[in-house]
This record gives sequence, C-alpha cells and structure tokens, in this order.
Amino acid sequence: MPGKQENRRLIALLTPGSIFLGIFFLGPLSVMIVYSFLEPGLYGGVEWNFYHLNYGRILGWADGEWEEFDPVYAEIFFRSVRIAFTNVVITLLICYPAAIWVSGLAVRWRTFVVFIITLPFFVSLVVRLFCWVLILRPSGFMNTTLMGLGLISEPIDIIYTETAVLIGMAYIMLPFMFLPLYASIEKLDRSLVEASSDLGAKPYQTFLRVILPATLPGIAAGAVLVFIPSLGNFVVPDLLGGAKVLMIGNLVEQQFLSARNWPFGAALSVMIMLVMFILIIFYVRRIGRSEIAR
Amino acid sequence: MKLKWLKRLLTLHGLLFLFFVYAPIIIVVVYSFNSHPVNMMVWKDFTFDWYLSIFGQSTKLTEQTLYVESTDQLVGAVKNSLIVAVSTTIFSTIVGVATALAVYRHHFRLKPFYQGLLYMPMVMPDIVLGIALLVFFVNFSIQLGMMSIIIGHCTFLISYVFVVVSARLAGMDDSLEQASADLGANPWITFRRVTFPQILPGIVGGALLAFIISMDDLVITYFIAGVDSTTLPVFIYGMLRRGVKPEINAIATLMLVFSFAIASLGLYFRKRS
Repeated sequence: MPGKQENRRLIALLTPGSIFLGIFFLGPLSVMIVYSFLEPGLYGGVEWNFYHLNYGRILGWADGEWEEFDPVYAEIFFRSVRIAFTNVVITLLICYPAAIWVSGLAVRWRTFVVFIITLPFFVSLVVRLFCWVLILRPSGFMNTTLMGLGLISEPIDIIYTETAVLIGMAYIMLPFMFLPLYASIEKLDRSLVEASSDLGAKPYQTFLRVILPATLPGIAAGAVLVFIPSLGNFVVPDLLGGAKVLMIGNLVEQQFLSARNWPFGAALSVMIMLVMFILIIFYVRRIGRSEIAR
Repeated sequence: MKLKWLKRLLTLHGLLFLFFVYAPIIIVVVYSFNSHPVNMMVWKDFTFDWYLSIFGQSTKLTEQTLYVESTDQLVGAVKNSLIVAVSTTIFSTIVGVATALAVYRHHFRLKPFYQGLLYMPMVMPDIVLGIALLVFFVNFSIQLGMMSIIIGHCTFLISYVFVVVSARLAGMDDSLEQASADLGANPWITFRRVTFPQILPGIVGGALLAFIISMDDLVITYFIAGVDSTTLPVFIYGMLRRGVKPEINAIATLMLVFSFAIASLGLYFRKRS
C-alpha cells in the first residue's frame, strides 16, 4: 500500500519539528501566559494564585485599588507605540524613493545594489549600534568633526534622547522596509506608468493614482515588519536612549533582571505579543488575501 | 525636463541612502586603527595595537590606557558562540528541511496549521521569545547554560531554514520527482538523486543564514544564557554598557569582516544555483 507508506514517511518527517516546537516554542509561550496571571512573590518568584492585576498595573491599577494615579507604565507603553510608529514612517520615507531608484537601474547593477543594501543586515546588531554610539556620543565622531570644522562651539547632546533612539532604530530596521518595498515596486507593471503619463497625467498624479496603490502591499508588509521588532526593542533605547527614553522592552528587561517581578514582566510581554497578533491578523485579512487574489 | 530633475533627485537620494548605510561602518573600521589613547575619535596615528590587545598581546599603547578586558573572557565568548552556532545550525537545518519536505511535498489536513506554526517564531518579537524561554526553563528547573541557548536558538532558526528551503521547493517542478518514481526508483533514491541535489542550494543558504543569525543573536541569548556561557554579542553588549573602549572598535571590525565573508559565501552559493 503506497498510501500507507507515504503516511508513514510524512509522520517521520513531521515528528521532530512538531515535538521540538511543541515543547520549546508553544510550551514557553503558554507558561509565560500562565505566569502573567500569577501573584508576584514578596521576594521575587511567584505565588501560585490567580491574580489578574498584573494587567491592571500597566494602567496604574494595582493591589486592588487605584494607586495614586501615576500612569508611568501606560506612558512608557504609549511612548513605545509612538516610537515604533515614527520609525515606520521614517524608514518608509527613506526606503521608498531608494527602492524606486534601485528598480530603475540596469539589471546588472540592480542585483549588486540590492546585495550591498542588505549586506549590513548580516552584521551583528551590537556592532551596528556601537557605530552609532561612537558617532553620537558627546566626544564622538559627529561632535569632534563639527567642532573641528568650527561649525559648533559646544558639543550637541544628541545621545540619550529620543532622536538618537530613532536614528539607531531606523538604521537597524532599514532592510526590513527596503526589501518588501523593492519587491513590490519591481513587480510593478511599467506599461501602466507609461500609459498614465501618455494620457497626460502629471508625475504626481501617476504616483498617487498608479504607483502608490499598486505598491500598497509592499508598504503594508514593510510597516508590519518594522513595527513589530521596534515595539519590543530594548537594545536600542538601552544603548542610545539611556534612562530617559525607556521603552516597553526596557521595562520587561527590568522586571526580569532587576525588579524581579516576573508576573508583571510576563504580562507586559503578553501585551507586546497581543499587539503583534492583532497586526498580523489585520495584515493577513486585508493585504494577504488581495495579494493572493492577484 | 521636469522628469529629468526628478531622476537626478532620485539618484542623489539613492547615493545618500547608501552613504547612510555604510558611513557608520566605515568610521568604525577606520578608527579601529587610531592610536589616540584618550579620545577614540581624534585621529592621531595608524596602529595595530588594539588588534594585538584583543589577542592578549600587551603593547605600550594599551598598557598606557589601562583598558584591559580579559582576553580569556573574549576567547571564551567566541568559543561559546561558535559551539552554539554550529550545533544550532546542524540541528535546525535537519529539522527545518524535514518539515519543509513534509509540508511542501505532501497533502494533509493540518498543513495550514504547520505553515502558521513555522512562521510564528520568525515574527515573534525576540524579547517575547526570550522571556518565555527564561520563564519556561526556570519553571521546569532546566539549568541555564549552553544547552538552553542552543535550544532557544533552534526554536526560531528551524523556521528560517524552513522558509528558505520551502521557497526552493515551491519554485521547483515536481515532474522530475514523479518521473523518477514512475521509472521505479524507491522514495529514498528519488530523494537522494533528484530532490536533494535540486534543493541543496536552499539547504546551504538556509544553514548559512541560521549560522549567521545564531552567531549574532543578542536578545534571546541575553535572557537565557547562564553565568558561564556568555556568547560574543552578549559579551560585547556588556562591554558597551560599561563604557566605550577602543578595543571594541577592533573587535567590531573583525566581526564585520567575518559577517561579510559569510554573507558573500551565501551569495556565491545562490549564484551557482
């Protein structure tokens, strides 16, 4: 019976992945969700009681009563969302024209330039951020050069500000925005663009009516791919934002490594995961389907 | 006329874009040869001393600056990184390829579920996965160390291998495989003689990607590394948090060269296919 044999083969191929991901991927996520509903112990650790206030704490509601209303966690959460969103806008504005430029190059050059642009993606994240620490620090490259040229007399304090965080964030996320944009722009039917301009449309009209709608799936994919890792990022704000620009990722790290309030940290992680799921579902519903239909 | 200007502007933007991508990297490489002992960003002289100091050679310059991070620790971190990267690459390549073959060469009811399951670790923010693994390991009293790092890396690298190999499988015509089966070859011979040679570039590409990502992973390793099992990125991150030293320039440059070499190797294999 070939069917039976094929079944056996299928099971043999699927088993290792199922067991491993079942135990070490779905398992940890479930345990984390369980932890987010447990009571934090007095000296770190957890008490195995159901406790829903870890989530309340995010909004300032803790230990069964409103604390003196100080929505410090909510503030950090919204700041993270704002920074992640700003980063999407910045990378989009940088990458869109660049992707158009690359797609207009001769074929030989195109592959080379795409390779060059994605190459830094393979360089260690710490190294890439270290570059920016060196540039932005008070005695760093930017200040030394500008002062050497006599353009400024006092060093500009840019590191440990939101600007520095945004620069670093945009720098490490560029490939995530560039590649999906480039893929959708390259697929664009050039004859449509020509037809539009032959029919008398001005360049901006062609852009708004033809190019932009056709590349919307690429924009959406890039936006999701940049937003998700930006939201939970803690390395960039840690190295370039210091204590002033805390993001939700820093908060999670603190809960686990110094404050030792694991259930609260788990609740924060669950929030990040929820935002991710909402975005992915939205993306698949709206864009994924129309993409498949094309 | 207007369009010509538009094109020029686009070119200018493209060149600035490349400049933005590469300038920071070039600055680090150039200043890793700077011998200024106090301010790393003021050019003084050309020197190899920072490189020597990474390898444990003390020179006049490095003694004078007293920036001595133990070389043993650095070497240990590199060794840990390599052990982790090699083990995860082997394991996640085998499992990733097997799963890709199952999902893209068979029809079964749970197929969409498996596709979703395998894409999930790739989109999961790494901090969430790191925290989840930490809570899991601690809850079940699994000791944090090399083993926990290897397990942690495999949870998401299987997906990367899966995606690369399944792209290859999806773009491949399966008529050759069917012809082989029709001509009486058993499934194993069909796999070895027909399927495997065709997906080999995908496997190599996936494995290289897994290796590079594992070598580079900071966030997940940061949470699940034990005390004695620091990897290179975690080690450098710790150094950076304690203050910026000229040696980091040299280490960063060496890592850059390494990553570029691996990425070019990957491209070479893709070109050949």
